[in-house]
Formats: sequence, structure tokens, C-alpha cells
Amino acid sequence: MPTGWPKWLLMIVAGACTWALVEIALTPHATRASGQSEYVTTGVFTTAHPTAFAAVKDFVNMHPKHPVQPIAYTHTVHLAKGLQCPFCHVGVDQGPEARIPGVTVCMSCHQVIATDRPEIKKIAAYKARGEEIPWVRVYDYSESAHVKFNHAPHIRAQVDCSNCHSDMTKQTTAERKVDMNMGFCIACHKQKQVSIDCETCHY
Amino acid sequence: MSHKWGMVVDLDRCTGCEACVVACHAENNIPTAGADQAALGRAKHWIRVERYWEGDFPDARIRFQPVLCQQCEQAPCEPVCPTYASYHTPEGLNAQIYNRCIGTRFCANACPYNVRFFNFFNPQWDMPLELQLNPDVSLRTVGVMEKCTFCTQRIKAAEIQAEAEKRDLKDGEFNPACAQSCASKALVFGDLNDPNSEVSRLERSNRGTKLLGELGTKPNVTYLERGTWEDAKNG
Amino acid sequence: MQRRDFIKISALSGAMATLEACRSPEQQLIRFVPEEELIPGIATWKPSVCTLCSAGCGLQVRVMQGDAEVVRRGQYGLMKMGLAKKLEGNPQHPVNLGKLCARGQAGLQVLYHPDRITHPIKRSGSRGSGEFQEITWDDALKELASRLATLQSSNSANSLAFLARPMRGQRRELIERFLKAYGAPPAVWYEPFDETVLRQANLLSFGRAALPTFDLRRADYVISFGADFLGTWNSPVAQSIGYGEMRQGRPGRRAKFVQVESRMSQTGANADEWIPCRPGTEGTLALGIAHVILSEKLAPGGPTSPAGSLEGSRAGSVIAGWSAGLPDFAPAALEKQTGVSAAVITRLAHEIAQTGSAVAIIGGAPLAHTNGLFSALAVNALESLIDTGRDQRPILGFMSEPELGDAAQSAVPLQGSLASLNGLAQAALLGQPHAPQMLLLYDANPIFSAPPGVRIREAIAKIPYIVSFGSFIDETSAQADLILPDHAPLESWLDSIPESGSFQAVANLAPPAVAPLHDTRAMPDVLLGLAHQLGGDVAKALPWTTFDALLRAAFIPLRTRGGSINKKTDDEFWSTAQEQGGWWSDAPTAHAAGAQGGGSQGAGSHAGSQPAAATSSLVPAAKHAPMAPAAPEFAGTPAEFPFHFLPYVSQAFGDGSLAHLPWMQELPDVLTTAMWSSWVEINPKTGERLGIRQGDLVEIASQQGSVRAPAVLSPGIAPDIVAMPVGQGHENFGRFATGRGANPLSILAPLAEHQTGSLAWAATRVKLARAGGPEQAKLILFAGGMRGFPHEEEPR
Repeated sequence: MPTGWPKWLLMIVAGACTWALVEIALTPHATRASGQSEYVTTGVFTTAHPTAFAAVKDFVNMHPKHPVQPIAYTHTVHLAKGLQCPFCHVGVDQGPEARIPGVTVCMSCHQVIATDRPEIKKIAAYKARGEEIPWVRVYDYSESAHVKFNHAPHIRAQVDCSNCHSDMTKQTTAERKVDMNMGFCIACHKQKQVSIDCETCHY
Repeated sequence: MSHKWGMVVDLDRCTGCEACVVACHAENNIPTAGADQAALGRAKHWIRVERYWEGDFPDARIRFQPVLCQQCEQAPCEPVCPTYASYHTPEGLNAQIYNRCIGTRFCANACPYNVRFFNFFNPQWDMPLELQLNPDVSLRTVGVMEKCTFCTQRIKAAEIQAEAEKRDLKDGEFNPACAQSCASKALVFGDLNDPNSEVSRLERSNRGTKLLGELGTKPNVTYLERGTWEDAKNG
Repeated sequence: MQRRDFIKISALSGAMATLEACRSPEQQLIRFVPEEELIPGIATWKPSVCTLCSAGCGLQVRVMQGDAEVVRRGQYGLMKMGLAKKLEGNPQHPVNLGKLCARGQAGLQVLYHPDRITHPIKRSGSRGSGEFQEITWDDALKELASRLATLQSSNSANSLAFLARPMRGQRRELIERFLKAYGAPPAVWYEPFDETVLRQANLLSFGRAALPTFDLRRADYVISFGADFLGTWNSPVAQSIGYGEMRQGRPGRRAKFVQVESRMSQTGANADEWIPCRPGTEGTLALGIAHVILSEKLAPGGPTSPAGSLEGSRAGSVIAGWSAGLPDFAPAALEKQTGVSAAVITRLAHEIAQTGSAVAIIGGAPLAHTNGLFSALAVNALESLIDTGRDQRPILGFMSEPELGDAAQSAVPLQGSLASLNGLAQAALLGQPHAPQMLLLYDANPIFSAPPGVRIREAIAKIPYIVSFGSFIDETSAQADLILPDHAPLESWLDSIPESGSFQAVANLAPPAVAPLHDTRAMPDVLLGLAHQLGGDVAKALPWTTFDALLRAAFIPLRTRGGSINKKTDDEFWSTAQEQGGWWSDAPTAHAAGAQGGGSQGAGSHAGSQPAAATSSLVPAAKHAPMAPAAPEFAGTPAEFPFHFLPYVSQAFGDGSLAHLPWMQELPDVLTTAMWSSWVEINPKTGERLGIRQGDLVEIASQQGSVRAPAVLSPGIAPDIVAMPVGQGHENFGRFATGRGANPLSILAPLAEHQTGSLAWAATRVKLARAGGPEQAKLILFAGGMRGFPHEEEPR
């Protein structure tokens, strides 16, 4: 406990903590089928958060940046071999979301390629157990961001993947290098002279 | 061509079956309030079927009237919002931006149609009921207002699809959930900027009225009055 | 405790709570490899069949990928799978043409209901205690198979009873085949609101033991006797589509709609003219209208149909005195009996006669009196007199049968389901030689829905072994010794044969729309598995290993019948049928369908494209002696029980089997805006007389018992009637329905319609008294309403 703090400040901090605690305890979270990521950005402080604590955390942009993935996948290696993003991230050019490849996709090549590597053996073990690789999502929006993003129109408008996901040829497992806050989206929309109406994304 | 979305509610076709009400709940992730909260008046129905009794037994009559957000052009909910959460989109919708909303409820107070709803709680579903949720629609959290969006997620999806296929939207290509389920076709949705759309044609009907039209809210929803057998017989 | 300590503690516990919140439970669950590869965020549409009522509408299920907690290989885990997100009507389906009703939309919540039984369970406490323990499928099936084998080998195969909700299709076929081969009596098909009376009447009047189909799109005048055809009766979606068209679908031609009933239903609320009539006299009123048309030689249908020939119609010949012009039914003589003035009866007859296409419909309460068959025959006779059709095609007709297996025949029980249930109950109660030793329950809940006089609860208590295939614990399945939960409909192979709603023959078919969430098994597959284990005749009668193989065998013969699928090979036909959601015949052409009124061929002629189907179930005309009018009988004397009691099928819950769905509970009743509750509708004058105000608690008592519910004062009900929706009042039906409201069926007298043995659910008399104020009643009304147009004075 910092000792030099004035009493009133301590009171406020303690009050906020208690409030957050009560809120967490009493308020059920807005639920959606799981798979939500902790690695989210909204950059706004509104009541549109499940808890006050979540709002504060979000406001001060407290998000872990480097998740630990179950498999030490290397984007660098795969992209260097000429693989294109949609090969694994199926659906990115068709609809809102891109698929995060599962064990079936990995093993479609690694049935025969590099089967002796420890990481590949891990994948093979998942497959043998009938389990999916529990990837941790890196890019995602929290439910409380109330934002809808659709990949396909962006791909059709020739926005390069690296615009938002940074240069994946230089990354092993994905890291959140680009801070996708609203200003980031708006800047690009303005530059390309497309809609910046609120409801284009928030509904 | 820019769109102006509107709806026609034919009161002569409406049977009061409330398929629209459940369709709306399913499409728009409207949480169930439960008996206790419903008793406090906190149940949410973005579209409801109102009924008005006239006369006494045995000459009692009833009129059904589905009421949803009228998507007013001069919307009383918009100017009162201190955070611009309630605003007018270029396509003529009264949108509610949840991120901006701080829950003053001024808009609900201003709306004469009583079609705006406040979230007194975070939405909650008993497992695994949350699997029914539509991923295309936000879950509104505690403290924000919500309202009918004309199923804006369906509008967006159809526009994106049309853009991908490099064509214009066709009349009747998509419908909000309420209109899609409506068996007697009492709810007709479409583009009022297209003079040949079914909704434009019906809007010009001489049975057309606006709900509380005298308030000057200029709704984009038109109600068609019930006809009578005698009128039809006499041409 | 010092303030500083408090601050420390709260800060610390706050931090701990945060840590707790960060650890999401999904990280502890394993993830299964998806069974099908879907693209996230993109919806696919899969056909299915609505099972929430018997109308048999076609569905389109919006399926999107999501994470669900599932059971695979006996283990819980997360899996990315296709999840049903929204139900819409199938636009190609001849019955519902892409539309879907409120109840149908809620089918989603049957799938995702939190109270579903997720694995087989076996009773561990005393019967009805609700104590069950988990059991594996292998053990459960071994136990059931050995008990079935023991029963059969001890020469008691005929003491196996099967109790289910009526259905039409291959599930029924499978059950009946199983029972027959096993040596058990046919299944007991029970539902409180069965349609036996109407089927019997249509058999006598028109030669078809089926529910009628109405082409309301072409109607100019509709007179309906009690039929809630826009809400809950027959095929409401198909009828609502036709209704919309008859109102505003034809410029300059708007039909008139008259509803005759004693309590304004949702359908009656839409009528141009609403005519209250005394309960049980609807048939008499219909004959009064017929009398005017016959005696004044009015020629309905305009100049093309000669009035003289109408008198000899088949439907008319079933009514005593018809050929003589119904001398006893002069309007003036009916005023007192029916409560409708002679002037109104005469005017209605004139209006109908002047209009082009008129149709008379009967359904609901008029059939649920002891004289229901007479009322139905009377309205059918009026129908055949007035429904001559502007374009020489009647509005009323019958759907063709697709003639799959012998389902078409076996699906038409002409014994009322109350009579069958009574037979089962009596056998068990009296301990007759072949009293049921084992009961298989499927989707029927008679403890909730049968009148107490049947004593089904005591009867079931006497049956030594009960197995339920239900997905939920309800009043009846709570008594089971073993529960083998079925898949939800959207997880199952589905088939059904709609009985009305189109003139095309329709055979619904759909593969599972989503993979199963829980450790459940499809009931048909379980039955087929048991047949194999039993061996002998049962295995021979049911050679298929899975239900879809049975369905395929039943559907393949349709390939050569034309209609909606034109494929060269059986495989192509089978896969196309799955993609389309079934098979249907071509729409009958106008000239193929003859006039129904005068000919001896009967109304089956609507089945233009399927002459074989249409005639096979026709019976020779007028075997039945002409029927004389019968007055309705009631349980209870008017002196002691001054009110008629009218329970009615709820818009939200049907007969109560959908009360567990939260969307249905929160759906405001359209006439009262009530949610989450029961209520009693009373005329305001009656309320005033008895000191009952809106929202007060009232007690309704019959000879059988009493129920309490809040009062709703409604101008749309006769002063001597009290009405109550069916559906609430469950003792044990999941978290959303249990202990909510009251069950009007629990005070019904076990009176049956005299000719058919169907439950006469509108024939009980009751007394009424105030039992408390609004604070005890807890009526919940939807608060929404426009400012400036406030609702009537209603307690909030």
C-alpha cells in the first residue's frame, strides 16, 4: 500500500475496488457462446461494459499483448513457403469472419511434412485424441464494443491484410501489433471516402 | 441510389397472431425479462400488438395494431439525446448507438410511441439457451437503451451481398424478421425511395394514415386502415 | 476493524475476484475436432419440419457456426459446430409458403432448453419423487430389452402399453409396427383437443375422414362457427395466408367474415361481424341459416348454380328434415335457444346468398359439446349448400394423401382420444387380466391434460414399469422408472404428413439440421435397436437399423409419382427430398377439381392430381341414419353452477405442451396483454354483479374441483360464460412453467361427445367467486402502450 497517498484518494481507490467487486459478484456477464478473447480494444469508457472494472480496464487499454499459444506456430515459415492467408484462414474473402485453422487443416499437410518436429508431434497427438487445438484468439472485439466487422468487403476493397494485422511474415505466433481502435478504423474510412456513419459498424 | 427504408402495416390483414413478436425476439437477441421483472414493466418487445376494445357485449369489437419504432423523420428521441447515441442514419433510420448511450432515458421519455426500452440488467440466458443468439446482433448491456432497428443487420448483409455481386438491391430481396414471418402479409417492408416498390405503392393507398401523425413526427411507417365489407361492395 | 484494514481487505478481495473472473471455464474443457467444416459468420439454410403442432409446416433453419458444450464419447467438451440460430418458413412448402407462426419460431428453445434431459436416467427415489440417477445408454437399453423379453416370454406381450401424442408419419408407423409384431395392443394416442369429431363429421358429410382445407384466397364470405382458424386451429399459418389475401389481396373485392362464438377469440377479433351464440347451439344456428336459404329458394353462388339441385347434397342428407327444407328451423323458433335474433339469422342467409364464394367453417368449442357431431354435420350441410364457388370450385376441400406405407390409414383414429385413454386407465385401475405391466410414454402428458375423472394419475401409479422417451420432465414423465431422452426435433430425422393447409399431397422429410448437443438418442433408433435385440417377429417386422433407412424405404416409392421431384434414380430422389424438405404433388388444376356441393362424389374431388388417393378413403354415402338435432348436455346444474366454463387453446402454449418455453411465457396474450400468468375472462357486467374487479383473484369451481386465477374483464365474452386459457398450471415442467398459474383442464368433467368419445371440454359448468385482491392474484400485463392512447384502466 503506497503510504504517501492522501486519504481521500485512498478512499476513492478503495471505493472503486469495492464497486468493481460488487459489480463482478452481482452482475452476470453478457454471455455469448464462448470463444471471446481477452485481447480486445474498444478505447471508450461507457456504460456499455459488463462491469465498471471492465470499462476501466478497457479505457486504460489494459490488454495482454502476447498470448501463449498451445502450438508454437510460425507464420514466418509458412508464409515464406508461399502460402496465402486464405489457405488456412478460410472464409476471409467470403464473409465476416476468417476461420482459425484447426487440427484437420494442419494435418492435411503435416500428415507427411515435417512429422518428426516436436510441435508437429503435438498436433498429431491432438488429432489422435480427437481434440481440437485450443488456440487463443488474438484479434477480437469484446461483446461490449458493439461493433460488427465484416472481412469480405474489406478484402474486395483491396485492403491488405497487413493493414490491420501487421506484417505476418515477421511473426511467429500472431501478436497484436496494430491497435485497432475506432480512430484507426475511421482514419482509413475517411481516407478511402467510405461511410463513417456510426451504424455502419455499431449495431 | 440511396435507400429510405419504410414499412406499411395493413391493419386489415393483421390477425394479431404475434408471429412478428417472437420472430423479433429470436432475430434481435431480446432477453426474456422473467415474471418478476415483467411485473415491474420491464419486459421488452420491440414490436408489440396493441389492441383497442370498442363497445360492450354483444357489440364488442377489437382493433389490433402492431406498433414498432416508426423510424420518424422528425424523431423526438433524437434531439434530446445528450450523447448523440440516438441519431438519424443517411438511410432514414433512427439508430441507437449503444457505445454512446449513457442511459439517461431521455429518448424513451420523448418517444410518443413508447417503443424504446431500457436495459435494467445485463442480458442473461440459462445455459445452453445462449446458443440461440444471433451473432449478427449486439448484446445490449445494462444501462443502455434499445429499440427496433428494422433489422439493420439484415439490411447491411443484403447491401454487402449486392455490392459483392455489383448490382442494386431488389425489392423484397430481404425483410426484417417480423415481416418475413407475417403470414397474412400485414407487414410490408421496402425502399420508399423506389416508387415501384411494393411498400411505396401501398403507402400511397387512400387507406394510409400515420400513427399520431398530428405530432409532426413524420414516421416512415404507414398504417392502412381496416376496410369494410360495405365499402368494398359499393366499390 | 479499523478503516485501513477494511480498505486493504476490500482491495485484496477485489483483486482476487478479478483473477477469478479472468479464468474462463472454457479453458478447462477440451475442444473436440469439429464434425463438419463450416465457415464462421456465414449462415447456411437447412430444411426441417415444424413439430410444435400437427399442421406440419416446412422450416428453413438458419445454421451458423458456434461453440457449444457437447457430449461426445461420454465426455464433455467444447466443439465448433453448426448451431440453429433462427427458424423461418420454407418458401417452397405448399402449406406455409415461407411463413411461420409464433409457436413455430420458438422451436429453437426446445433445442436449447436448459431443462432438457441430457442423458438417460433411472429412478432412484420413490416414484414421482423426482429423484433420478444417471445411467449409461448400454445399461438402460439392456434393462429395457430384458424386461420386454421377459414380458413377451411370459405370455404377457399384450400388457405392454404405448401412450403418445397423435402424429402422422413414419414414427407412428414404426410404433404401430413394433407393437403389432411384439404382440401388444395398438398405441393409445392422446391429446386433449383432438379432432375426432370433425373427422367423423367430414366422413359422413363429404366422405373423407380428414380435417378440411380452406382456400380462403378465393372466399367472398366466411362464416366460422367457433373455429380459431387464424390462431390455433387446424393449419393456422396456411389459413392466415389465405385470410390476408381475401381481405386485401384482390383490389375492389374484400370478403366479409362473420364469427359465431360465445367468447371472442383472436380469430373472432378480426371478424367484420361477431355473433355471440349460446354454447352448443352453433349447429342449430347453422341450420337456421340453411332453412332461410332453402325455404326462400335463394341461389348462393350467383346465377350459375340452380338452387333446386342443392337440396339433395350428401352433406344435407345426413341431417334429418333436410330434404323437407328443415321445417323445424325457422329463425323465429331459434331465437330463444341460440340467443341470436331471427332478423340476424335471416340477414346472414341473404348476405351469403348474394355473395359469390361463401364458406362455412366449424372448429373448436362447438365440437367440444356432447352434441359436437351434430353441430359439425349441421355446419357441413350449410357449407355444402353455400360453398358452390364463384369459379365452380369449392373453398373447402381435402388434402390429397401421399399414401406412404399404411400411415395414411392408420393415422385416422375415429375413436376419440379420451375414450382410448379411458380404456387404458380403466384396465390399469381395475387390474384386468391384461392390465398394462409396462408403459412406454412418448410426448404425451395426460396427467396434466386429462380431466381428473379419468384418474390417469392413479392408473399410471399402478403400472409397474414406465419408460419415457421425453426430452423433459413433465407431470407424467416424472412418474417414469427409466427416461431415455429423445433428440430435440432439430437434431432428428423428421417426417410428417400434413392433414390440411394445401390441396397438394405433402410428405415432409428432413435430416437433422444440427448435430446433437447432449447424450440423447433418437426414439425411433432406440425402438429399432430394441427390435433387433428382441429378435423373432419384431426384428423381422422392423429390418432397418436406423430410422433414416426406414424413411428412405417409405419415401422411394414416391419417385415415380411426379410432383416436386423429378429424378431418375432413387439416390437422387432421396437426396433431393432431403434438400427440399420433403415431397409434394403438383397443385391440382382448376378443371380437375369438380364442384363439391351437389355430387355424390363428395369433396374429395379436390384431390385432382391424385385420384387414387382421393377415392381410397371415400366411403359410400349416407350409411348413417339422418341425424336429429341434439341439445347439448352439461356437467352441473345451472342453479348450482351458473356459468359455462370455456377452456381454450392458448395462442402461446397450445394445449400446454409449450409452456416451458420462455419466449412463449413472455409473449403478451394479444387480447389481454397478459404474460407469465393464467387469467379468467369475465364479462364486466358479471364482474360488477359479483364484485369482481380487473386483476382480482377469483375462484372457479366445478363438480370436479376448483382453480384460482386473476380476473380479466373483457367485453368480448357472454355474461354467463367464463373462459380460461389452457397451458399454465404445471406442477412439474421445467423452471419456466412450474408452479405458474392454474390448469383449467383440472376441473373439467370427463364428459365425452356422445357419438365419438372425444373429450367434451366445453361442457362443464362452474361457479365463480371473488377470492382475493390483485395483490394475491399477481396478474402480469405488458406495460407497453402508446401515450395518448392509454389502455383501459389496468393494474400495473
